[in-house]
Amino acid sequence: MSHDQDDPTLHPEVQMSTSQGYFSGFAISSILMLAATFLVTSHAVPPFGLLMVISACAGMAIIAQIYFLLHIDVSEHNIWNTVALVLFIPLFLITIGLTWWMFSQLYLHTMIMPGMTH
Amino acid sequence: MLVDLAGGWNPMWGRLAWSQIPYDNPILAPLFVAVVVGAILVLGLITYYGKWTYLWKEWLTTVDHKKLGVMYILIGLVMLFRGFIDGLMIRTQQAWAVGAHSSGVFGATHGYLTPFHFGQIYSAHGVIMILLAATPLLVGFMNIIVPIQIGARDMAYPYLNALGLWLTAAAGALIMISLFVGDFAHNGWFGYAPIFELQYSPGVGVDYWIWTMELVALGTTLGGINILATIIKMRAPGMTWGRLPIFVWATLSANVIALTSFPALQVALALIAADRYLGAHFFTAGLGGNLMLYTNLFWIWGHPEVYFVILPAFGMMSEIFPTFSEKPLFGYITMVLASMAIAGVSWLVWLHHFFTMGAGPYVNSAFSVATMLVGIPTGVKVFNWAFTMYRGRLTFNTAMLWAIGALFLLLIGGLTGMMLAVPAINYMVHNSVFVVAHFHTMLLVIVYAIFASVIYWFPKVFGFKLDEFWAKTMFWLFSAGTVLVFVPMYMLGFMGMTRRLDYVFNTVWHPYLLVMEFGIAVYMLSVLAFVALLYVSIRDHAKNQVGADAWGTSRSLEWLTHSPVPFYNFAVLPHISARDEVAWRRDNGIDHVQPDHYEDIHMPNNTGVAIILGGLTFVLGFALVWRIWWLCALSLLAIVALVIYRSFKGDPGYIITAAEVEKMEKEALRREAQISK
Ligand code: HEM
Ligand SMILES: [Cu+2]
Repeated sequence: MSHDQDDPTLHPEVQMSTSQGYFSGFAISSILMLAATFLVTSHAVPPFGLLMVISACAGMAIIAQIYFLLHIDVSEHNIWNTVALVLFIPLFLITIGLTWWMFSQLYLHTMIMPGMTH
Repeated sequence: MLVDLAGGWNPMWGRLAWSQIPYDNPILAPLFVAVVVGAILVLGLITYYGKWTYLWKEWLTTVDHKKLGVMYILIGLVMLFRGFIDGLMIRTQQAWAVGAHSSGVFGATHGYLTPFHFGQIYSAHGVIMILLAATPLLVGFMNIIVPIQIGARDMAYPYLNALGLWLTAAAGALIMISLFVGDFAHNGWFGYAPIFELQYSPGVGVDYWIWTMELVALGTTLGGINILATIIKMRAPGMTWGRLPIFVWATLSANVIALTSFPALQVALALIAADRYLGAHFFTAGLGGNLMLYTNLFWIWGHPEVYFVILPAFGMMSEIFPTFSEKPLFGYITMVLASMAIAGVSWLVWLHHFFTMGAGPYVNSAFSVATMLVGIPTGVKVFNWAFTMYRGRLTFNTAMLWAIGALFLLLIGGLTGMMLAVPAINYMVHNSVFVVAHFHTMLLVIVYAIFASVIYWFPKVFGFKLDEFWAKTMFWLFSAGTVLVFVPMYMLGFMGMTRRLDYVFNTVWHPYLLVMEFGIAVYMLSVLAFVALLYVSIRDHAKNQVGADAWGTSRSLEWLTHSPVPFYNFAVLPHISARDEVAWRRDNGIDHVQPDHYEDIHMPNNTGVAIILGGLTFVLGFALVWRIWWLCALSLLAIVALVIYRSFKGDPGYIITAAEVEKMEKEALRREAQISK
């Protein structure tokens, strides 16, 4: 537990990082973001479809970032990544899930339906 | 330009213009002169005494966690004072501008502040008190105490630690400069959609608010990562999880919250920035935006944040009660579990800040129940503290008084919180001053715990105790002020007074407001007592010197090493054999045993990169506020370049040889022997 002075570049999580990985992560998320922006600004799809498509883009971007940029996996030598993942997934579900629930209830009670404004 | 800006804009100066300097304002202009004169005086004195090199080498470039902590606390105290002055101004306006016949000066119809200025003051007050006073004060204590309590020589990432400090300082500077250049937001500390949109707030105030909050959020997230890594990786041999001092557990739970919740704030603010800078419509009513989505995103961070600030305060109290009761903490395990439970529940309750949105009975009930669940672990903690004191040998020194005061406030704040958690009650008192009284009671728990810690840990950091007489005077004045301000505030809340009134229409409330004004005057006296406390204690420091165990009844590891703590913390890293290591060594008569030989110590080097990055970040924030694009690009480029440069350079650190350590240790022991004579 004391301060080890070995070469930090030999740590497994550093060994896993390659510039190719970082660039692909960056490129994939940029392309997905540009695609989503284009779809929204050009109104290429009806509102509900738009919601689905950009959510799908966001989901893919998250996976690309977790994999290419954060190198999160469940292997033994990256145990702290697993801990982070175990912390993150429930929180992700809580924030998104409860937000979805409270707003769907809100729309139900105030009779605003998504897409009604269009 | 993607958005239409009111007023001028030019490529060179952005939105900056002479008319943005409030030199005709009867309050700000004299203040500005005073600040400039004061600054010249301070800089002059530093030059006169030739202290620039000392300042640069010992403080501004330091990576020592104790010095960084002290600077965090200094920033926190300065901002606490600024926030207090804001509070004084709010109270004075409300005590003055009551009823149609009240007089008005300085261009205000009633009182002395126009609604435009009043709005800025309460917004700045909230942002400052929560993010730039409470947070830095707590982070400062975590910084100083945690590494010593776990037996480490420094943080896991000393340079990142310095960076966090200077980012916080940049945020403080940004909000301070909004006093003299431009104006500040009037949308409250948490912001409202759509008032912060560009159409409704065309000035730069909201932009100041956005970038100040972004910078603190960034600094605190980085700090959180650092503290977590430190606690997990840097513990001394034998410091198992079950032996961790309770303040470290509290810090751990708080920073898990920080790490997971601050990003939500950053996203929420970035989306407002997208609306204001890029013409997006995330939080507008038109074009598919949603106003309440902002409130939702904000409180996803906002509620965990209030537990981020209260948990370290609980940790401080858990250290102070045992020391001055001469008993180990009652229910260590339950205390740890309670901290973790509070952190866990804090993610599940945020809707209680907008019950009145109207999500309906199912949603409101669920969040009401979740909110009340927090009462269980909090109750566990209160009982643990009570049982710690039960049948103990209590010493009522000022640290103990502050801690006991915090306990009373926690009771009031917790019970009013429970009331607010009932949607039926909440619909009646939401956005009344009852809510304001609730959260001030809660935040005062933190202030009390902080002042308790100032008294308690001051001798550890500086090697002498604070003066008891002035400390007690300050405590009683402060407590009198608390009662005088907040009891009437609760009463006004029940009478239906809404929050943030720049004009009070109901003259029946006047007497209460006058009592509160009197209370704030008493608070002012306690500020003066604090200044006297510092002055007298520093003047008499030779009389009040202490050894390693300043209180004689201390329990945790930080009391093992000398006071003041040497920069390497421990000459030889201790082996931990018990939960309350120092108490254990004292009981076994080995607390004065010295190591038979010393070894080389490896320490990190100072670096000027952190403070330069802080300065550049301030420039970036300022340029963003005023939309000076070339300056934004330039400062951002410089930041990225500097970060890359530093990461390639790294820091090999340096070695203090065993002989040098021995010399310094001998000197410290000699000093200690002299004191005990
Ligand atoms: C027993 C625990 C607590 C409960 C049940 C509780 C409950 C509540 C509720 C229901 C509200 C919303 C009131 C409204 O706006 O209508 C509220 C507001 C607030 N509480 Fe608490 N609270 C608790 C502890 C705390 C703590 C520990 C803190 C901070 C240290 C805190 C700080 C705040 C703040 C800052 C606000 C409102 C901010 C604003 O509207 O400007 N609370 N609390
Ligand atoms: Cu809350």
